[in-house]
Amino acid sequence: MEGYVNGSIPLGPFKRGSMDRDQPILQVKDLSKAFNGNMVIHKVHFSITERELSAIIGPNGAGKTTLFNLITGYHLPDRGKILFRGKEIVGMQPYDIVRLGIARAFQRTNIFPRLTVLDNIVSTIITSQRRNLDFFRPVSGRRGVHEKALEILESVGLADLAHQQSGMLAHGNQKRLDIAVALALEPKLLLLDEPTAGMSPEERWRIVKLIQRLWDQLKITMVFIEHDMDIVFGISQKIRVLCYGSLIAEGSPEEISKNERVIEAYLGEEIS
Amino acid sequence: MTPQFYLFLLVNGLAQGMLLFIIASGLTLVFGVLRIINFAHGSLYMIGAFLAFSLSTVLEEGSLISFMLLLLLVPAALMIVGLALETTLFRRIYDQEHLLQLLLTYALVLILDDTVRVIWGGDIRNVPRPTAFSGSVDLLGLSFPMYNVFILGVGPLIALGLWGLLYRSRAGNLIRAAASYPEMLGALGVNVRMVMTWTFLMGCGLAGVGGVLMAALANIDLGIGMEKIIECFAVVVIGGLGSVWGALLGSLIIGVGISFIQLPLSRLAVVFPYIAMALVLIWRPWGLFGRPER
Amino acid sequence: MVVAALFALPFILNRLGKIGEYWIWVSTEIIISALFASSLNLILGFGGMVSFGHAAFFGVGAYTVALLMKKGGIPLIPALMAAPMMAAIMAAVIGWFCVRLIGLYFAILTLAFGQLLYMIVFQWYNFTGGDDGIHGIPKPALLTPVNYYLFCLVIFLVCFLLMWMIVNSSFGLTIRTIRENMDRAKFIGINVKRFQWFNFIIAGAFAGLAGGLFTELNRFAQTDFLHWSKSAEPILASLVGGMYSLVGPALGTAVLMFLNIFLQQIHQDLIEIWAMILGFILLLVVLFAPDGLVGLYGRIRERIDSFGAI
Repeated sequence: MEGYVNGSIPLGPFKRGSMDRDQPILQVKDLSKAFNGNMVIHKVHFSITERELSAIIGPNGAGKTTLFNLITGYHLPDRGKILFRGKEIVGMQPYDIVRLGIARAFQRTNIFPRLTVLDNIVSTIITSQRRNLDFFRPVSGRRGVHEKALEILESVGLADLAHQQSGMLAHGNQKRLDIAVALALEPKLLLLDEPTAGMSPEERWRIVKLIQRLWDQLKITMVFIEHDMDIVFGISQKIRVLCYGSLIAEGSPEEISKNERVIEAYLGEEIS
Repeated sequence: MTPQFYLFLLVNGLAQGMLLFIIASGLTLVFGVLRIINFAHGSLYMIGAFLAFSLSTVLEEGSLISFMLLLLLVPAALMIVGLALETTLFRRIYDQEHLLQLLLTYALVLILDDTVRVIWGGDIRNVPRPTAFSGSVDLLGLSFPMYNVFILGVGPLIALGLWGLLYRSRAGNLIRAAASYPEMLGALGVNVRMVMTWTFLMGCGLAGVGGVLMAALANIDLGIGMEKIIECFAVVVIGGLGSVWGALLGSLIIGVGISFIQLPLSRLAVVFPYIAMALVLIWRPWGLFGRPER
Repeated sequence: MVVAALFALPFILNRLGKIGEYWIWVSTEIIISALFASSLNLILGFGGMVSFGHAAFFGVGAYTVALLMKKGGIPLIPALMAAPMMAAIMAAVIGWFCVRLIGLYFAILTLAFGQLLYMIVFQWYNFTGGDDGIHGIPKPALLTPVNYYLFCLVIFLVCFLLMWMIVNSSFGLTIRTIRENMDRAKFIGINVKRFQWFNFIIAGAFAGLAGGLFTELNRFAQTDFLHWSKSAEPILASLVGGMYSLVGPALGTAVLMFLNIFLQQIHQDLIEIWAMILGFILLLVVLFAPDGLVGLYGRIRERIDSFGAI
């Protein structure tokens, strides 16, 4: 396997008819985006295979969140392609991209404050089941949906807070809810933007264990942005490093830890 | 329908546009720095117009000096009103939900418009033009009202003045910085609150100038406040909120448009801003100057 | 419990009817205005969007009934069925443009369209009678003031029930979800524009029905029905009563109407500055009690409960 490469990694795009495991679920090709003349993402190019658990790291301002924004359709790239399971998704509306199977949890919690914790999930489920154009049947009557919602809340440990107003939750719990909302979409690709940001050390590890457990059980592809290197090197199978909008390295945790360019990017000096 | 007639419409439209710019620039400036859309901006302008009328009755009619006095006193009065409003009301809602900000300034419209009605009554008023500007000017074989030409001259002056203030003076730097990086500015020890207050006062002053000029241009009645704020909205939709140049372009487009649409739709000429707004919002919802960031 | 009280009302008022026809008329007007306010609140309180042009749909409904009955000779019931339909069509057209925008721009455009419609009705003398309006709308002999009151009450209750169902349905939850966080709503797969559009149309339809009922009550239709100041009434009513609840707008309508009458009794001049008073009330509500009377009640209840726990 190559170590650091500023180009594509032949991990699967050219294998046809082989195991599902090695097919690319997401291909980002030569993606570029500038804001007000500043190149925020520059010719980023990589592939993510199905069921991969990977991390994206990089110094602040490297463009990691922007990358997520581009993938989920929040911004339009200036150049480049994004393919989800072979399908071009640049230019699609965010809600259509969600329906294809990409879900995202946010850096700053992005939930529905005046709805109860349960309703946050219920709303997501009825949307993803396309049942939200029903004008007459009360939502509370949908037992199946409610049960499913509670299950999801259980899986992130929020079941006993189900009837609280979500805006009143503590920060850590709001983050869990954020993740739960993304999960409720039953995505095939889950993007987590700094899932442990702003949490105490024990909370961090609980979230990390949660992420690992979910990945294990649901067998979906997960990509997370993180700053905590213990977490990154602890659980990810693969790490991609962004610096000033460019992908400077891609590889296994071991390879990355020895990668000079990465070390330089973070420390800003050469290690002899 | 000679080409000269079109030229006439064009010049008149530009004059109207300039007047609109003076008022709209205040609105967009206030938004840029305070991030509040002051719905009541049109009402302030209307107060200015009626105030000008009242003052004009005690000043010497037709004298240029009286007119200049109006142009000084009315904006000043409005700035005082603005100060009262800013300190008591606007300060409380800077960080609120936009919905509430909208409703608050709307409440102000209700209050101010009714105040105007109570103080000045429902009659149509106007301010006599200074005799220096009351004739016509012959250009290219056409007779233009001198006053319109005057406005056509004053408009760019004010635009230049604003530009000079914003881009060439220290105060202007502060204002622009406060619009973009308020926290940073605060951290540098600048009294951002002051900047915001002064910007708001400037906005009120501009509304006042617009009011005086309009009162001498045409008859004023109780509907001009709402009419003008809708036109201002059309301007900022076209030109983009917060952009003074956008406001200039938008105002000219609206002014000329209203002028020309008299031809096919004389009684509905006032609908032009709405049509323009709707068209821009459908075709390029991010304004003519923005980019589709989604 | 509230429903029981509403059902008791007509019987109480029936007695009063012999003494105070005025109060019957006022009550009918309150009911109709409450319907109008509730319709707006679908957009405002549940949708989280401010619409300053809702009177347009009220007016369309009003003029539909007026024109159909006066010039077309069509009886009341079909006319009243046409009113919400016409209003819905208008709401579909206007709404399609408006939901392309968010927040402030949405509000501006609704205002603009509202004024546009007002001016069209104002200018179109041959069809709408312009400033004069349409007068002398026939009233079926069956509809005495008391009967009309009951008629309106029934319609209001039916509409209220419909709105209750809609708000509590999946559609309603989706609309509230959009209100809470529009961006995130997109990221859970909601086509925000489409839902806001549907909500707008539904709200417009109910407003049209209210307009039709109003016109029949007063037996005329006027351009004022479409003026932006008419659009202010439901906004105020919803805010004062409580925009996050279903009964809030109705409550607010009643409160404001009683206030209006009360002021008239105290001093004739006070009514002259009604708009100003409304403005001040709105100011106070926005600053100090944005969730209105219902919200206040809820908070007081909480305080009392927490005291009781001690």
